[in-house]
Amino acid sequence: MSIEAINEQLLRAIGVGVALVDAQTLRFRFHNDTFSEWFGTPEPEARLGDLFPGLDLAALTQALATGGRFTAETTFKLRRRTMVVAMDATLALDGGQRIAVLVCQNITRIRELESMIDSYSMMVERNTRELKREKEQVEKLLLNMMPRAVYEEYKTFGLVTPRLYQPVSVLTVDFPGFGDMVERVDPGVVVSELNDIYTAFDRIGEQFGCERIKTIGDVYVTVAGVPDAVEDHAAAVANVAVRLIRYLRQRNESHPNTWRCRIGLASGAVIGSVVGVQKYLYDVFGPAVTRAQRLRLLAQPMSICADAGAVASLDGRFEMESLGPRDLGDGSRIEVWRMGEPALAGPAGSRG
Amino acid sequence: MERSVYERYGGFAQVSRIVLDFYDRIMDDDDLGPFFDDVDMSRIVDHQTKFIAMLLGGPAHYTDDQIARVHSHLVIADAQFDRLSALLAETLADHGFAPEDVTLVVGEFDRRRGLVVKP
Repeated sequence: MSIEAINEQLLRAIGVGVALVDAQTLRFRFHNDTFSEWFGTPEPEARLGDLFPGLDLAALTQALATGGRFTAETTFKLRRRTMVVAMDATLALDGGQRIAVLVCQNITRIRELESMIDSYSMMVERNTRELKREKEQVEKLLLNMMPRAVYEEYKTFGLVTPRLYQPVSVLTVDFPGFGDMVERVDPGVVVSELNDIYTAFDRIGEQFGCERIKTIGDVYVTVAGVPDAVEDHAAAVANVAVRLIRYLRQRNESHPNTWRCRIGLASGAVIGSVVGVQKYLYDVFGPAVTRAQRLRLLAQPMSICADAGAVASLDGRFEMESLGPRDLGDGSRIEVWRMGEPALAGPAGSRG
Repeated sequence: MERSVYERYGGFAQVSRIVLDFYDRIMDDDDLGPFFDDVDMSRIVDHQTKFIAMLLGGPAHYTDDQIARVHSHLVIADAQFDRLSALLAETLADHGFAPEDVTLVVGEFDRRRGLVVKP
């Protein structure tokens, strides 16, 4: 077998598409099997542009004339399929005739894969964004149920260890006559107004480092000292208490529905923990909570009752008057104090 | 939580092979191929990727409205829908899907017939 014949055999068998094209007329003179398998067999008189209509023939001719080499990527349709060809053309001389040697790679599959990866990445990225949004919503919900520090513990360890907090101060507030209002007023209005009021309560509480623990209907419970210690916890709840009353007084002046609250304050120990397995709720229990709830029931509308522990911690900064020993309704009898009107009236009457 | 077919058959690493194989079969099919004659390759591949991912319970979700809207300009006959259904079943079976999973996935596909086939 001659060298030429071996060369031709090699060209035919090689795993890339090879074609020889007349550099002048761009007519096909030879193509190997891989070329026709990938791109179809050129007709006898076919020119390069017939097979690859997207190819910039002027640029190819020019490049061959000047540098002798041309590289391009082109697409064409084989039946309905878009084929992508990476083409490398070099100039060769065959007995004085200028021949363009085309080495063509079929990169169709690579482009299809790239398109698929693009599509998949976009899907995954969109899902990731959605998941992130959902996670934020779940976090927001959980933060409504428990303080941030507790949530962080829950997230890290999957549980919250019950903890004793001491001393802390508890404020509970409710609205006597709420039941009547529910029957009398449109439910949508009641809920909307209660929502406004609780939102204001939250804002006032936050200013003094109080953490709202829960609401049960018209009962609102907030604590100073849980989960993060608050040094002047009694003053914090006392300051919140007077501002809640001032806020409602102001609100009642401009709203048709009058909201009157009563408030109980107590200082002491509480246990803070997440309760429930399927339905989580961060809650506080203990003597300070019980006392604050009982004291609230003793308070007249738009007034504040406190226990001796809270009063002692306040250290004379709010004017408090003793109502003497009172039954709390649970068998216990303790001295009960009431916040004086000057403290409720406004900043001038308060020394807190 | 029950794992989707998509997860059970190896996630995208495996599903990508099904997508390209299915793409080849559709493009070579004289009944279905013409639908894609004038469509850009990247759009077809994008469509197939999401289509397969959705049927297998992967990370693609289309509402019935979206599917109906995307196909609203096409006149698709029951026979063509059946052909695609058969191609899908063949492809999945060739990629080692258990018969009950093929039935499950093809069932998901058939459920959407009313959204794309014009009477």
